[in-house]
Amino acid sequence: MERNTMAYKSKQFLMFAGPALILFCMVIIIPFIYGLFLTFTSWDGVSAEKPFVGFANYVSAFKDAYFWSAIGRTIIYSAFAVVFVNVVAFLLAYMVTSGVKGQNFFRAGFFIPNLIGGIVLGYVWKFVFNRAFVAIGEAISGGTVPSLLSTTGGAMFCLILVSVWQYAGYMMLIYVAGFMSVSDSLKEAAMIDGCTPSQAMRNVTIPLMRTSFTTCIFLSITRCFVVYDVNLSLTKGEPFFSSVMAAMHVYNKAFTYKDYGTGQAEALILFIVCAIIGITQVYVSKKGEVEA
Amino acid sequence: MTQNEKAAAAKKRKHAIMIVLLVVVFILFIAPFILVLINVFKDQADITANPLSLIGEHGFTTKNFPDAMAKMDFFNVFKNSLLITTCATILTIIVSAMASFVIVRNGKWKACSMLFALMIASMVIPFQVLMVPLVSVYGGVFGILNSRLTLILMHTGFSVSMATFMFHGAIHSNIPLELEEAALIDGCSRWQTFWKIVFPLLKPTVATVAIIDAMAFWNDYLLPSLVLTDKEIYTIPIATQAFYGTYSTDIGLVMAALLLAMLPILILYLFLQKYIVAGVTAGAVKG
Amino acid sequence: MKATLKRVVALMTVLAMSVLLLAGCGGSSGGEEAPSGSTNGITIFNSKMEIQDQLLQMAEKYEAETGVHVEVYYSSDTVSAHMATRYSSNNPYTLSMVDAKDIYSLAEEHAIPLDDEEWVKDTGYAISIGGHVYGFPVCVEARGIIYNADAIKKVTGKDFDPEQYKTLTAWKGLIEELKKGGMESPTGVMKEDWSLGAHYLAQVYEEQDDPDAFLMDLSAGKVKLMENEKFNSLMDTFDVLMENNYAKASAISAEREISEKKLAEGEIAFMFGGNWDWSQINQFDYTENMGMMPVPQDLDDGMNEMLVGGGSKYFFIDNSSNTSEEQRQQAKDFLNWLVYNENGQSFLVNDCALVPAFSNIELPISDPLGASVSKYTNDGKLIPNYNYMPDDHYAILGAMFQKYLAGISDREGFAKDVETYWHTKTLTSHSE
Repeated sequence: MERNTMAYKSKQFLMFAGPALILFCMVIIIPFIYGLFLTFTSWDGVSAEKPFVGFANYVSAFKDAYFWSAIGRTIIYSAFAVVFVNVVAFLLAYMVTSGVKGQNFFRAGFFIPNLIGGIVLGYVWKFVFNRAFVAIGEAISGGTVPSLLSTTGGAMFCLILVSVWQYAGYMMLIYVAGFMSVSDSLKEAAMIDGCTPSQAMRNVTIPLMRTSFTTCIFLSITRCFVVYDVNLSLTKGEPFFSSVMAAMHVYNKAFTYKDYGTGQAEALILFIVCAIIGITQVYVSKKGEVEA
Repeated sequence: MTQNEKAAAAKKRKHAIMIVLLVVVFILFIAPFILVLINVFKDQADITANPLSLIGEHGFTTKNFPDAMAKMDFFNVFKNSLLITTCATILTIIVSAMASFVIVRNGKWKACSMLFALMIASMVIPFQVLMVPLVSVYGGVFGILNSRLTLILMHTGFSVSMATFMFHGAIHSNIPLELEEAALIDGCSRWQTFWKIVFPLLKPTVATVAIIDAMAFWNDYLLPSLVLTDKEIYTIPIATQAFYGTYSTDIGLVMAALLLAMLPILILYLFLQKYIVAGVTAGAVKG
Repeated sequence: MKATLKRVVALMTVLAMSVLLLAGCGGSSGGEEAPSGSTNGITIFNSKMEIQDQLLQMAEKYEAETGVHVEVYYSSDTVSAHMATRYSSNNPYTLSMVDAKDIYSLAEEHAIPLDDEEWVKDTGYAISIGGHVYGFPVCVEARGIIYNADAIKKVTGKDFDPEQYKTLTAWKGLIEELKKGGMESPTGVMKEDWSLGAHYLAQVYEEQDDPDAFLMDLSAGKVKLMENEKFNSLMDTFDVLMENNYAKASAISAEREISEKKLAEGEIAFMFGGNWDWSQINQFDYTENMGMMPVPQDLDDGMNEMLVGGGSKYFFIDNSSNTSEEQRQQAKDFLNWLVYNENGQSFLVNDCALVPAFSNIELPISDPLGASVSKYTNDGKLIPNYNYMPDDHYAILGAMFQKYLAGISDREGFAKDVETYWHTKTLTSHSE
């Protein structure tokens, strides 16, 4: 067989990856390159003129203190959210694959938060924090209770809580698929060899689930880094910008403040920061993955 | 025997604890929806007055539903959402599974590793970055916006990276190479091998990707709002969006719209659950 | 294996068919339904959520009346972001309703001049740039203190006459009286950044003799706000609002609907706001005995007899090749219909409860807040809006104002924040 020729390789590649490649380039690569070009102009978003300004937008992006504090905040938020999302998701997945009664029902239930979009989720939770929690708090303490959302630390806390609530069910699904792909016979073999269930978990199941971990951690990092919907509807960046995440700042910069070029340049910087973190994580964990 | 009985009793106890834990977490997870369910039968004044009461001062009302349905042109937008979600989901699954197959099995080819790296990197691009360039290119230059087909292809293009990423993981760690080699020796082409051997084994991942993508497409607002401009072809989220405003909101209507929008995807999820369970058998092949 | 293959084939067939079907749909919808680019009818972009319902109903009646098809669109996205995507995709609306500042940034490039329209002579609120009229004012909106007269009368036993409480001293007296009479906290403060930054703080600039010159000086570092009479006077009043706020303990989590509900039902008596608040207030068990009064101040410059406001939301007509001459004419006809047709006038005033920006419309205003605005407008007691604020002003200084409201910064700190913000801006004069 002529498996090493260029022609064979290209044919195989295009046959399998061709459709994906075309769609991917059309929708992401081409607009991305055009967007890159726009970062070198002082376009306002609506005008027909796109005056070329060189690196001016990058200079102002680097000088934009609000942007960098938003990036820092996003990193802190992501760190907390990623850890909690994955811990909760893994535990849930473990419980709903252990054979308890009604596990399918629970799987469906934990996934429900994902069935509605982030904007609506945010509104629902805002309602919970500002009204329901306050009403309960006041009933208990008898005095007036400020909403968690109105304190600087509280708003971040709420954001993390809602993210965990929102993504845990989603990641659980991936962990469930992971648990199911580890065959029972392997686990049983380990038990027969004298492993306790927790040892079997640590030494057999978890190593075989590395792929699920890689996937879930990567997904939660990327989700958290570009969080926008929930941020907008839950806190809107309030109070006093203390919960403005990077994507929201970028959006505001480009559209609300009509500084499209700088906004786009900041978005690009955000992308680079995020890509470095995400790819490092995948690279590191792929290295340790157990080959099938 | 006693050993087994002991083990069984321990297992029972463990399950009891787990069920209690699950129920508690479950209640936490659906509490906000119960709140929605309660308030959908109240009018706005009552919702503001006391969101926790079961029935408002102005009484029980179901008028939010017909109102929301009429304002959204529900059946039409439902049809559009269904069509777009179904087609885009199927398309995404097919093209991504194929792409991930060649990427995993030929990871050493430059084209494969580059495409995969690009895809991974693209997953962290905030959508807002691409929004204006996207419409500039496809609306301004090619003039092909405002069509359901364009939206389906765009949805697929945006979700291909993540789906490929997930199939990549599944093929990489769960599909034994020996099976494929055996098929090749039996005279199957790689195309046949993929469809006959590999794809069927990917069922649990297909179900997962299907749910995740279908849900994302069903709920997506930003992209459809940019692509679809004619009311005729609106999807549910765009129609729902008409209820939110800067200066006023009719919460009761929003809640009704929300319930209406959620139900179909919930049903789909319950249905696909079975296939995720079926993953047990698929995984067993490997052992 | 066979079965799986069959299933895959079936799946592919379904997919292929649905794609074909869609392509067919796409084509046919282009054929019959007439997309926005064709000449059959006009598209209107509405950015005023509270009148979306009314606009939709109006569109049907308008078509029955004139035969012109009208499609109304609404987006909850930021107006400028939405406009950016529509213009980038070459798919503008025939008529777009935007904010005053958007007219300044969009009109010269994207709008047609409306100089020759009849309505220009009947309004003082149209927006002109470079000597040409581009913006058609949808309505007049003004801000001040909203009061609930019933709630006050219930405590004091006297009819409330806002004329008697123009000065801060008098107003403070009334508030003390209300408190003694049992209304624990007579005021509400909206914590929204647009209310604090774009409305209350903006009033500090708008009430200067020459707002433009004032802001130039401010950005040049020539103004010390702590020594500015107007700033201190308005902040004194704000302190009273803040001190008596029903949500004082958690001022920045006070929700707008709750404040409006309390005001509507008379639990509180005063709130800083505008006539647009009526669309919220009327959702609750409101009283008709409400109105708007100027922000009380002890200065005798006459500003405490005036509301601040002017035209709000502007229509402009697209000038691109996506819109035909015929559509432009239809759009102009529609604007004329709003101003001169009985049904159009009634639509603005009765259906949408707006205060019209045209002097020829004499229909009585039905809602009490609008009636107040209309009265001040007709008496010429309206301080004009300053429409040239930088785009990030309300968000950044709104947040700084929230800090003040929360008690995190004091007046001096807030003044410093405002000054620092303006120092980073380079301004050009707008005086015409």
